[in-house]
Amino acid sequence: MYKLIKSMDGLNVAVFRQNDNTSFVFAPDNTDYQTFKKEVLAGAELQDADGNVMTQANQFVASLP
Amino acid sequence: MPITLDGSNGITTPMYNGSITANAVTPSVNMKNRIINGAMVIDQRNAGASSGSGVYTLDRWQALATQSSKYTVQQNAGSVTPPAGFTNYLGVTSSSAYSVGATDYFYINQNIEGYNWADLNWGSANAKTVTLSFWVRSSLTGTFGGSFVNWAGNYSYPFSYTISAANTWEYKTVTVVGPSAGTWVGATNGGSLQLYFSLGTGTTYSGTAGSWSANYYGSATGAVSVVGTNGATFYITGVQLEVGSTATSFDYRPYGTELALCQRYYKRISRVDGSGGDYGIINFCDWNGTDSYSGNIISPNMRTSPSLSYSALSDFTYLEGGSTKTPTGIVSVGSGPNYIEINVVWSGGLTAGRAGWLRMTGASAWLAFSSEL
Repeated sequence: MYKLIKSMDGLNVAVFRQNDNTSFVFAPDNTDYQTFKKEVLAGAELQDADGNVMTQANQFVASLP
Repeated sequence: MPITLDGSNGITTPMYNGSITANAVTPSVNMKNRIINGAMVIDQRNAGASSGSGVYTLDRWQALATQSSKYTVQQNAGSVTPPAGFTNYLGVTSSSAYSVGATDYFYINQNIEGYNWADLNWGSANAKTVTLSFWVRSSLTGTFGGSFVNWAGNYSYPFSYTISAANTWEYKTVTVVGPSAGTWVGATNGGSLQLYFSLGTGTTYSGTAGSWSANYYGSATGAVSVVGTNGATFYITGVQLEVGSTATSFDYRPYGTELALCQRYYKRISRVDGSGGDYGIINFCDWNGTDSYSGNIISPNMRTSPSLSYSALSDFTYLEGGSTKTPTGIVSVGSGPNYIEINVVWSGGLTAGRAGWLRMTGASAWLAFSSEL
């Protein structure tokens, strides 16, 4: 399960992977980030920074770099 | 006075009543060995403990598998004497007698970055020949397999080697003529070559040894399945992959050099002496009542923006304003290859503008940065 992380400016800037306490920014060369995009597009759960399950997760992930 | 410089004999110079010849030596060349941690010395994640499949094990060595819990990997598993000149090895132990399915695979593999492979010109008419050499020992005998695979996973060269005697270190070499075709990543920080040692590969992913194929083959057809025998062992060390058609002596690098090469991909902060007790690792500044931030320089540069991982929140405390607090979150909010901004989240009670420091609280605590391929 994934959860978005906001910066102090309130922007979504990173992702937290809850099963192994791992976080990463939206960096296309990062393999964790690559896996995150694949898994969410395949149906994995993504929560917003407040913990709400995102119903438009696919569209959000598709808009990321 | 003639002086002869000879590629075989070295330097020959005349002396009174004869001549003297200096021995030819193979010069030490940086990165002769394209494999990192080939002597299996660095083990940041496990410090000698056992790890499962599907994860990185000893530094730079990954255990790829389609099924979980079929084997374990541990530095110096079984505590046998390594080959002469080596102090460590990567040890695989089969956890069951698993019958490998057609689409199963079980590997020990290393992924090589494009920057460390591009000069070999693979995928062109100028592709260079390489030679793989390694020491291997298994409780099983027979024909074992492995493969060279491009990053896209659609071009590969299965190879085979024979282990003749059980529980005996044997030295193996495999020479591969570089491919003129296939897609190979150039001088970038992306993945280029995947080198596999098979522990069991199904028929779908096994191919004819000794030739390039426009397929994903992770091993040679008919190779031994280590995971097929409960308790079977597969130990390997001294893995070297070098340009040329001849295997040369293993390129020992200084420990600090090897560690720095590993830390381009993974860097762990942990208590090296294994003892308990608290110790500070990173200074933070409180932004508001619940969030503290810290900017950190990473040196040497990592391959890309690293992920941040930690053992457990209960392994950390925060000292600020004369009290100790336990975090509710530790996350990366910004990073590049040489920096990372960390946000530590608290349930409340911080004062904006105050400084504090994050401490590890036990022997098993760790914080890590990863940019593995």
